[in-house]
Amino acid sequence: MTFILGIESTSHTFGIGIVEKNDSNIRILANVYSKYVPAKGGIHPREASLHHAREAPQVLKSALNKAGIHIRDIDGIAVALGPGLGPCLRIGATLARFLASYYSKPLIPVNHAVAHIEIGKFVAGFTDPLVIYVSGGNTLIAIQRKKRYRVLGETLDIPLGNLLDTFAREVGLAPPYVVNGKHQVDICSDWGSNFIDLPYTVKGIDLSFSGLLTASLKHAEKARSKKELGDVCLSLRETAFDMIVEVAERALLLTGKKEVLLVGGVASNTALRQKLEAMATLHGAKYKGTSPDVSGDNGAMIAYTGLLLFLHGITIEPEKAFIKQRWRLDEVDLPWLPN
Amino acid sequence: MASKLTLISEGAEAKIYVLEALGTKLIVKHRISKPYRHPLFDKLFRERRTKTEAKILAKLYLSGLPVPAPLFVDPFNSIIIMEYILGTKLSDTIEYLRNKTISTIASRLGEYVGKMHSLKIYHGDLTLANILYNETTNTIYIIDFGLAGHSTDIEEYAIDVHLIERSINALAPEITELFMKNFWNGYARTYSEKYREIKDRVNEIKLRGRYIEERLKRRIEYERYR
Repeated sequence: MTFILGIESTSHTFGIGIVEKNDSNIRILANVYSKYVPAKGGIHPREASLHHAREAPQVLKSALNKAGIHIRDIDGIAVALGPGLGPCLRIGATLARFLASYYSKPLIPVNHAVAHIEIGKFVAGFTDPLVIYVSGGNTLIAIQRKKRYRVLGETLDIPLGNLLDTFAREVGLAPPYVVNGKHQVDICSDWGSNFIDLPYTVKGIDLSFSGLLTASLKHAEKARSKKELGDVCLSLRETAFDMIVEVAERALLLTGKKEVLLVGGVASNTALRQKLEAMATLHGAKYKGTSPDVSGDNGAMIAYTGLLLFLHGITIEPEKAFIKQRWRLDEVDLPWLPN
Repeated sequence: MASKLTLISEGAEAKIYVLEALGTKLIVKHRISKPYRHPLFDKLFRERRTKTEAKILAKLYLSGLPVPAPLFVDPFNSIIIMEYILGTKLSDTIEYLRNKTISTIASRLGEYVGKMHSLKIYHGDLTLANILYNETTNTIYIIDFGLAGHSTDIEEYAIDVHLIERSINALAPEITELFMKNFWNGYARTYSEKYREIKDRVNEIKLRGRYIEERLKRRIEYERYR
């Protein structure tokens, strides 16, 4: 039996997950996290890192309790070394280096983006999907080819999550950004019914959202009622999601994949899921999203990806385990991917 | 006279039929309504793209570029009827082609794209799936101009080149260098005036992706000289 502990602290979430592998299968034993919620504005990297430092001991204890094992029984410590916010990454990395050195455990370097995709594949039971990865930091379409994830298309400016969050914040709807699992832009979309023609920028499989954001904010400024603001929210959401689905559709036909997998923080969005599912069905491909507990940032995905790396002998010396704020998905060689 | 309509392919936004009529073969491209799109937007969208494609195809065809000739346009039903072209998508065949063939294709594509850009037209979706290759005649055709447009901004031209490079990088990473070297050679032959500028812009676009290490390095250098 192999136990791997994974630490996630790339952005707003500090999380620890523990996975177990026995002869026949892999199970998630614990997935505990604590989320930093800003009182005003967006994520303040220092405030977020202070939150992580404060919460780390408690989250670690509770993860070990939940899994019902002692830290001595762990076979390896996996940590997300990037990409993400420097101050936040340092908290996770420091804890991981300490645990690895003090308890003499192998340290496993995990790329956060790879982890999002791997946990998605694991939960969905997919082997070779077209990946649509949408979060606050990423918006990209990828496939696996020649031992790596290859990016077919991505945003040329801001990511989708960033677009929705910035809009909600600028018009005064957020924080909080999400209420009862529903994003403010979705809540506000229910108030509207008219469609406004907004900039729709698709370039091949690449996208651009900055013009859409500016135009939406201009329209929102002119809105004089709840309904008028609702129209802007609805049009913004429809335009942004239609763009994503269009590039996904183009990528699907280009690659001929039979599975469509939606991962990342925005994967829990119902409207986006419905559109993507309709698109996949249209082309006879299987669609799977990722459930909210593993679609947002979490420790289990780091532990699971750490396990895959560990089984292929990929570890790192604690003194060499530097954080990497910029570490692209398509830079990482992954031995378990097909050639 | 008897005529026959056969569905041959279902693209991301349109159904492609072969129409056999008047003793010849024609292509019918019908932009279909999508269940996931907002209905008001859907109509606007299909109409707009049909018009654009027809206009651009006409202009390029008359300028002697290898694109299908548009014969009939109905924007309200989003239908274009155009010339039939025999060939396979480069995205399906590139893996099986010899390096010599790839070099020829790349350099010729560079020439065509250069000529298109010199006419102030960009393609907007220049991927391997939108290039047809005919092995018997050893010719290539560029298709699918739904995202195309007129522009004097070199940004749009650079995006075209960026898209073709990314498409090769995703489908056949090992030949990217060979392909792009020949592509640029061809491109410089037909569009030499802004060749340098566009090449620089393509490199800049690459750095716009998320979490790119070189971008960080560049900023550090900049700060050193301030």
